[in-house]
This record gives sequence, structure tokens and C-alpha cells, in this order.
Amino acid sequence: MTDTAVRKSRGIRHRGALAVFLVPFGALFALFYVIPIGYAVYQSLLVVERDGTFGPAVQVFGGLTQYIAVFENEAFWSSIGRVLLFGVVQVPIMLGVALILALLLDSPLVRGSKFFRLAFFAPYAVPSVIAAIMWGFLYSPNLSPFTGVTQTVDFLSAESVLWSIANVVTWVYVGYNMLIIYSALLAIPSEIYEAARLDGASQFRIAWSIKIPLVVPALVLTGIFSIIGTLQLLAEPQVFQSFSSAVTSTFTPNLTIYSTASIPNISLAAAMSVVLALATFVLSFTVLKLTQRRTAA
Amino acid sequence: MAISTVARVGAMAALTALALTACSTGGSEAPGAAGGDCAPSDGPVTLTFTSWLPGVEEAVAIWNEENPDIQVEVQTGPNGNGGTYQNFFNQLEAGNAPDLGQIEFDAMPNFRVQDGLENIAACEGILEAEDQFVPWTWSQVTFGEEDAVYAIPQDTGPMAMFYRADLFEAAGIPVPTTWEEYQAAAAQIREQGGYINNFSQSDINAFAGLVWQAGGEWFANDGEQWEVNLTGEETTRVAEYWQGLIDEDLVAVYPPWTDEWNAAYNSSEIWTWVSAVWGANTIASGAPDTAGNWAVAPMPQWEAGESAAGNWGGSTTAVLKGSDHPYEAAQFALWLNTDADALTAMNKTANIYPATIEGADLPVFGEGVEFYGGQKIYEVFAEAGNNVDPDFTWGPTMTQVYNDVADGFSGAVSGSGTLLEALQSGQSSTIDALKAAAIPVKE
Repeated sequence: MTDTAVRKSRGIRHRGALAVFLVPFGALFALFYVIPIGYAVYQSLLVVERDGTFGPAVQVFGGLTQYIAVFENEAFWSSIGRVLLFGVVQVPIMLGVALILALLLDSPLVRGSKFFRLAFFAPYAVPSVIAAIMWGFLYSPNLSPFTGVTQTVDFLSAESVLWSIANVVTWVYVGYNMLIIYSALLAIPSEIYEAARLDGASQFRIAWSIKIPLVVPALVLTGIFSIIGTLQLLAEPQVFQSFSSAVTSTFTPNLTIYSTASIPNISLAAAMSVVLALATFVLSFTVLKLTQRRTAA
Repeated sequence: MAISTVARVGAMAALTALALTACSTGGSEAPGAAGGDCAPSDGPVTLTFTSWLPGVEEAVAIWNEENPDIQVEVQTGPNGNGGTYQNFFNQLEAGNAPDLGQIEFDAMPNFRVQDGLENIAACEGILEAEDQFVPWTWSQVTFGEEDAVYAIPQDTGPMAMFYRADLFEAAGIPVPTTWEEYQAAAAQIREQGGYINNFSQSDINAFAGLVWQAGGEWFANDGEQWEVNLTGEETTRVAEYWQGLIDEDLVAVYPPWTDEWNAAYNSSEIWTWVSAVWGANTIASGAPDTAGNWAVAPMPQWEAGESAAGNWGGSTTAVLKGSDHPYEAAQFALWLNTDADALTAMNKTANIYPATIEGADLPVFGEGVEFYGGQKIYEVFAEAGNNVDPDFTWGPTMTQVYNDVADGFSGAVSGSGTLLEALQSGQSSTIDALKAAAIPVKE
């Protein structure tokens, strides 16, 4: 047998294995990802027509009618503005705290790092709905165990509820982000630290000049995940609707889509979803490009 | 109405998932021919029935016992606007709606416009049942058309005033009979550290009940087009009245249906609730520590000596589009809402007040209720029911109206904007929503 024949037969065998491994993923990906997105895009191109006050509705192709309606929808854009403001404040705070916690865990000066690693990560194991309910009760003026605080500061007022929700989101996700950054820290070769120590660098200096620059890729990754998560906020504000009247039915983009779908105006909701997905994509990609350019330079 | 937050949120999350993946059956087929045929199915059938009435399972168990061939499975959900309606709309779109669903009167036009209701007029005994029901409830399920019945009325929500008889007596404040007296009492109660009421910023259907009492109308349908009027004279009057109470801090503004809200009643902070008959159950379950101290009086009036009442809620049992067994479903719906045992069972668990004429004479409605100090509270509601204006028309997108106005009302109670401004913006957003659904509307 020649060398090429061996390679060829091996190649065919691999192709069969490839199919076996890819089909389950491909089928699920198509079923739960490609088809629903395709259906949403299709739905977003339809408009309703009917005769008379109770005439049967007929869905017909309407081109970009729904997209024009999305761009004219003030509530939708103000909800996007609200989550962007949320993201600008909450994401840096959350990632900053996650970074500090990760550096502390990685520092040789801290004892019990295994315990703290688990303790900081634990909130992520709490489903976000449950976390929101729990915090909702903590914030309630009369039901909170800390009524002394909640009766003087109204955490659920129109001015503060967005930041109260930000606190819940931070509480849930800070440990998750910390873990990603921490594992990036663990991947740093120990020779670098040795060299730094030989040069007489303090722990603080090592953290500032070696660790942080080396975990920038992890920070970019968690940053992008956080931006996506911010634009898609739904569970926390929805739960907070039952604690605070300041959370309207159009508080976040996803809540706006949800209440539009409940009119029901499915086509407009689909168009909003598509616009939101594109906006998320553009924003994430921009952040990625900007940070890549900065790290390259 | 004691739906736990967890269940509600869980249902919402599930619904959201559904909304994202719901598949269409291609909604282009013609709607069911009105008054077509309605034949019994062969063999035993199982029907599914979605409702949020507390303890409805007990009434259904009676039916299942008597009808081994037509078994009904109950699925419970959050209240209509809290998620069940959206669930229905998604299921209808996906073609897997339950056979039967609880739908409030105010949502009937919405389901009709979405072609979600089966016309059961041709089913045995349905058209003949008209005489058994309070006339205005029947016109809500037929939309005034011949040969059309889209649901069976279940209960009505005549409104009255629940009040803390003990607190009023101890403070020496007369129980108000007019809205003017109510405002005066509110000020006196505030001096004692309490609130006369909680302004339910998200219960726009309760606000509608107040407008209904004042003689207002939000929608009209002349067969050609809809007319929207959320800012009429009567509505303005009601909105300005409550705005005054909010501005002077005479009413509490807890988000309704929350534990915080229950706690405010349970701790005697709030003294009255102008609500519907089924609210009797809400107070009893939400404020158990106040048992025996409540009483019921007619709603305060705009003019002394009048006896107008509003209506809040009231449901129907509808056969949803696509049911395989409309005949059996219609028979069950009729039985559930006319049978004396079923009505008594539903009153025991959910304090419903039946929509049938005879239902009001059931023994249970002549009994005193312990939670209300033994008062025969249903006599007050029966009287109120007779004084409800029968011609109130609901619009075809009430979920949207409630959402939009509630957003504005929530702003108003936290100091941005007023109730009237919320209604004005609701007026224009409602017209937009109708236009978006291609429903003819007068500008």
C-alpha cells in the first residue's frame, strides 16, 4: 500500500466519524437556532390585513413595514438607551470587582482561596429568577429584614430601581466572571513571576504590570458576554415588576418585545427581536475590534 | 388570586421561550363557519381546560365523576393578563390550544379579533341557554350577533366597598356613601396614620370599573369601525379625583397583588378596598389576621342618593379555536356555569358570583360570611349587580391598553406625569395598536 492510499482510506473513515459527531450538533443547532431565527425574520416581514371590526385576519407580505414601525417606536429605543446606560455603569463595576477578586485569589498572601473561590461563585448557581425574588424581598420597604435601611432609602423608586437591578445582576455574575479571569491567571507561566521577583517586584507591582496585562483577553471576553447579557436583560426586571411599579412593561428591550408579543403583535415583536440581535452583534463586534486594536498597539 | 410570584415568573419564562419558538400553522385558513354543525365525538374524550380560578378542580371533579366518557383535565396558570392570555395566543398560533379556556369579558373582543374562539351556537342546548343568564353577560359573549355564541358566561364582578368596620367605628368616622365623603374620610384616616385605600396603579381594569360606575365608555363598535375614548368627561373626572388623593398622600401606592400589598392590609394600614365580589377571597387569603373585622357597603356615589355600581372582571368559559371536541367542550362549559353544585363549589373556593339568574338564589349566597363578621355580603353585591350599566363595551386590544395605561399610572404614582396624561398617551397608543392590527378605528 502506498502512502497516499493509506492517507485516503483514513480520510474516508474520518469523514464518516465526522458526520456521526456533527449530525447531533447540526440537527439541534438547526432546530433550536437556525429555524427559529429564520422564522422570526420571516414573521417580521408580515403585516395583518382584515375587513371590518371583527373580520378574519390575514397575514400578508409587508416588506419592511414592521422595521419602519420599530424605528418609530419610542418605547423600544428608550428601553435600549436604558440598558446601555445600565451597561456603561454596571459592566465596568462588575468586571472591576471580578478582576480584584481574581487577583486576590491568585495572590500567595491570601489564605483559604479554595473556600473563597467557591463562595464568590456560589451566587451564579442561584437561578437569576430566584436571585431577583430574593433581592426583591430584601429591598421591600416593609418585608425586608433590614427595614431600618429600606424605609429610609427607597431602592424600588423610579430613580433607583435600575441600579437596584444592577446590584442583583452584579451579585449573580461577578463570581462567574471572576472564575474566567482567575483561570486566565492560572495559565500564566510561573517563570514570569520568578523573573519579576528576582527583579525585586512587589506583589502589587506583579499584579499591575504582569497579571493584568496578561488577562486582558479574558477581560475582553467577559466584557463582551456582559454587553450581550445587558442588552438581553429580561428575568430580573420582570421579577421586579411585582416589587416595584417603576418597572414598566417597556423597561428593557426584551420586556418591550414581550409586551408587544402579548398584544398580540407577533410581527412587530419579531422585527424588534431582529433589530435587537443586530444591535447586539454590532456593539459586541465594535468592542472586540476596538480592544483588539488597542492590545495590538 | 393568590398566585405566587415564583409560579408567575416561571410561567412567564416558559412563555417567553414559547414565544420565541412558536411555529405557525399558517393562519390563512377561513374562520369556522358561523353556526355550522356541532356533532358529538365517537367514544370517550378527554378535554383540557385552562383556568386560574382557585380550586376550580373541585367543581371539575364533580363533572368527571358524573361523565366518565368526557373527562376534563384542568391546567392552572397565572391570571389572564398575568400570562395566561399570552399563553393562549401562542398556543392558538401553534395550533395546540386547550379545548377550553377561562377568558374574562374584557378580553373577549381581543380573542375574537385574533380568531381564537369557536362559535358554539350550533351545539345542543347552547342557544336555548340564553334565558338562564344575566342579559348583559350574554351580549358580551355573542357580541350582539344572531346565531353566535363564543363562550359561556361564568361570573360577574359587581363592585362594592370592602371596609374595616372596626377601625371606622373606633375612630368615629362615618362610612362614606359618596366620593366626596370618601375623600373627607381619607384625610381623617391619614391623620391616624393609615390610608383609606391603595391606588392600584397596574389594575387598569379596576380603574375601568370606577369609570364604568361614573357612566363612562372607553370603546364603541358600530360594526364599521371602533371608537376609542379613554379621555372622556367621566374618565377625566375619575382620573382627577384619584390624582387628588395621590397628590395629597391620602392613598397608598403599593404595587397590587404583591406580598407588600397583602401585608399593608394584614397590618391594618389600609382601611378599605373598592373592589369586585371575588375580592372577598383576596382579602380573606391576603389578610388573615383581620378576620371578622371587615364589612361590605355599596360603592361611594358621585351624586348622593344614587346607586350606580361598576364591574371589575368576571369571566367566561370559552371553547378555543381548534378544539377537536367542540360539542363536549360546550356541554361542559354550560354545565360548569349553570349547575348548582358546580357554582356552589366555585363560590366556596374562589368567591365567584355566578352569571346565571338563578345562581344568585343559591343557598350559599344567602349565608353570612364569617370573615366579614357574619354579614350576608352577597346581598350587597346582588344589588350592585343590578345597578351595573349593561352596555359597557371592551376594546379589541385590552392587554395593550392595560399595559400602556399602567406604565403611565406607575409613573403618576411615583411623581412623573398624571393619571390623565397616562390616559391621553394610552388613547394614542391604543389607536396605533388597532391600526397596526389593521382594525378599522376612528381617529
